[in-house]
Amino acid sequence: MPTSATSNHPSRPEDLIGRLNSPHTPYEAKLKALRDLKNQIIGNRTKKLAFLKLGAVPSVVSILSSAAAAQGGGGDNREFYESVLIQSAAAIGSFACGLDAGVKAVLDAGAFPLLLSLISHLNEKVADAGARSLKLIYQSKRAPKYDFLQQKNMEFLLSLLNSKNENVTGLGANIITHSCQTTAEQQALSEAGVIKRLVSLLGGSINQKDASLESLAAMVKENPEVSSKFMAPENGRALNVVIELMKDKHPRTRLLACMCLISIRNTSTSYLQDSGIKNTLVLVLLELLDDAGPVGDEAPFVLSSLITEKEDMQKIAFNANLIEKLCEHLNAGSYQAKRLQGIFLVLGDLCSKLECCRDRVLDLQVLNFVTEALAHDSAEVRTAACNFLKNVSRSVKNLSAGQFMNEAVAVPLIQLLCDASTSVQIAALGAISNVVVDFMAHKSVFVQCGGVKQLVQLSKSMESAIRVNAVWALRNLTFLVSYRCKEEILLELTSATLISLINDPEPSVQGQALALVRNLVDGTLNSINYVFGEDGAVLHAIARQLRSSSKVEVQIQGMYTLSNVASGNEIHKEAVMNQLLPQAGNDAEKTLVKFLQSTDSRLRTATLWALVNLTFPGSPGACRRVTELRNAGIITQLKNMVNDHCLDVKLRARMALGQLMIFGDSSS
Amino acid sequence: MSLFFIVIRQLAEFQAMASSKKVITREEWEKRLSNVKVRKEDMNKLVMNFLVTEGYVEAAEKFRLESGTEPDIDLATITDRMAVKKAVQTGNVEDAIEKVNDLNPEILDTNPQLFFHLQQQRLIELIRNGKVEEALEFAQEELAPRGEENQGFLEELEKTVALLAFEDVTNCPVGDLLDISQRLKTASEVNAAILTSQSHEKDPKLPSLLKMLIWAQNQLDEKATYPRITDLSTASLEDPGV
Repeated sequence: MPTSATSNHPSRPEDLIGRLNSPHTPYEAKLKALRDLKNQIIGNRTKKLAFLKLGAVPSVVSILSSAAAAQGGGGDNREFYESVLIQSAAAIGSFACGLDAGVKAVLDAGAFPLLLSLISHLNEKVADAGARSLKLIYQSKRAPKYDFLQQKNMEFLLSLLNSKNENVTGLGANIITHSCQTTAEQQALSEAGVIKRLVSLLGGSINQKDASLESLAAMVKENPEVSSKFMAPENGRALNVVIELMKDKHPRTRLLACMCLISIRNTSTSYLQDSGIKNTLVLVLLELLDDAGPVGDEAPFVLSSLITEKEDMQKIAFNANLIEKLCEHLNAGSYQAKRLQGIFLVLGDLCSKLECCRDRVLDLQVLNFVTEALAHDSAEVRTAACNFLKNVSRSVKNLSAGQFMNEAVAVPLIQLLCDASTSVQIAALGAISNVVVDFMAHKSVFVQCGGVKQLVQLSKSMESAIRVNAVWALRNLTFLVSYRCKEEILLELTSATLISLINDPEPSVQGQALALVRNLVDGTLNSINYVFGEDGAVLHAIARQLRSSSKVEVQIQGMYTLSNVASGNEIHKEAVMNQLLPQAGNDAEKTLVKFLQSTDSRLRTATLWALVNLTFPGSPGACRRVTELRNAGIITQLKNMVNDHCLDVKLRARMALGQLMIFGDSSS
Repeated sequence: MSLFFIVIRQLAEFQAMASSKKVITREEWEKRLSNVKVRKEDMNKLVMNFLVTEGYVEAAEKFRLESGTEPDIDLATITDRMAVKKAVQTGNVEDAIEKVNDLNPEILDTNPQLFFHLQQQRLIELIRNGKVEEALEFAQEELAPRGEENQGFLEELEKTVALLAFEDVTNCPVGDLLDISQRLKTASEVNAAILTSQSHEKDPKLPSLLKMLIWAQNQLDEKATYPRITDLSTASLEDPGV
């Protein structure tokens, strides 16, 4: 091969940068190097990264800066400087296109104000180049937030939107899409008359339509006031225009029109509720799922915003065979991260409420794809797969059939407990919490796969969100589980950990820990003994927390735990009695009365259950306990409750009172 | 009933159906057509749309001057677009890429599929010119990273590189990549992308109008006999064969 470089051979990145940076390179050669650089990086992520590493961005920005300064002086070289401006702005834009690291480098190098100054350039091509690059920067999350609340910024934005240059109006719209986040910002834009301008852009070119739809969606999002302004008669048939755009020829326009309408819909229960529009939204988005490009990648996310938490929409989507369509995609093996994340997100939404959806998903063998998704490289995909599992396993019927508790699901789920991403860990714990509610026979699979060890580990996490979810999972695992399984769980957990969880600084963790004990002691007499180990340390901890906590959730769980313990033998009942009515102080007595007087009927019920168990007539010490309770003023309290407005309370109060009466009403 | 009679009866039914079709004579047809009004300006716009979309820039310019019809796009951009198209058609892909980037750098930066196809075409041209080493280097440096990003690209790349394995490429299973039609395919993809970036329809309107005409005639054929247009190039009415 000849050693001389042919024109076909691109210059090496190092050489190019060298030429750009050297003060000895003639201007013409610099312009050529700049253009070479631009042509090498456009569309080529690898090259962008390579040039970024070599510090290309600051070099290009400094060339842009000096050209901008030089052309201000006027002279014969105007055309040359303008070419430099165009080429350097284009190169900067390409670095910022689809590459967050590129956006960061561009912003760090101070390109932003320089590009902004190009927008008002007299040469339209220069203005175009500047506007395009800024537009690309604003498509990234890293772009600086634009402050609309400042008067002069708002004026500038309006001047952009009113420009005749399509790239400049596009930039204006992109700034809104990127930076309009708070209600105050939405309000300010609306008051400045931006809606009207955006509506007029809906009649423009394809690019203007798309940019306008996206901005409108950002402006109305979760803002009923701006939403109603958009629907107001002064904006004429704007809504109808958007509705028509759902049937536009261009897939991206259709997607954005749907997004905009959904934004409006979600702000009120009365907008866009007719079945015609509901069906159209579902059908249009369903069709867009088939798009092979970015539109198809984004379609599931828009679909999710349409159906999430909305049972009626989920039903329509189900009837439109959305699940079948998503399965087709899974079967086709479109395993790009974003697509896969979107598919599981929508499947999760569908399974959140409707049993028919869960059945269909299981019939179509979606679980076969879950194992792979749980082990996917992308944390977002793993999270979405966990959330899907959590929702689909809400089906009691399928849960008890052991659909989920097998190694294909359990093993990867347990592995996710050690995931590097906290949100994946939390999502996995959520899925596990539901999956382990499974009945008897299948729970051992989870224990055998090492799940308990991991959960116990996570229950000691520094993150309270992880702790609470881990204890929650343990709580569900101990629900109606065999004695042997409980043994294993407690062996791993230890009383010491259990006590520290009961005393956790977070009330939510305390509540889950108490609920865990409640499940542990539920069942045989042997189970109750768990809280009596180490001198009844666990029982003490429960009672102490019960007396000191001010959170009703904690009090309810604690009371039910004691109630379960009180269902045991004489020793158990006495121990509970001693905790509730210790000889020494009077504070405890007040606790019992206080709970019976609680405004929360669940707490009243839980306390009554404890009393019922303590005074069960068949047990030898019942008579003595009744006397003690009577002395503590409980009977008077119970008599006030026999006509409680809560049926559950009323029944239990009468039951308790009945048992107490058996031993004679010697209140006199 | 004998089979013979069933056949006879069916034939009779067919006859009845055929004769139930309405017959429209040429005279009557022309009279009806003359009642349909088409505006001259609309015609001109359709012609202009065709010239612009297909890239007949000089004809468009002349037509603008003679008919006063304004094109919906800057005519200068047509010249640029045609230059890009021609560069691909003649195998100067690198030149085409540079021209697209000058026209609008966003096109190739936001359209990975098109970018890949252009790079693939570049590889094909290198192979066509027998530059084996350069082709291999290019495939490795420029195309392989795109294949890593996208499974579909990888498969296409493998197919293209396979060209290098055959002595007689004209007779190999992937030989059609070297065909001129592959260049045209790539050229038309670039053309469409440039038009879309200019917010312009990528197809002219006239062909769809003609398609609609054929469809409408097919519908009408079931109900009536009339002077139909069969030869689109002359658009002459053919006498209804009764």
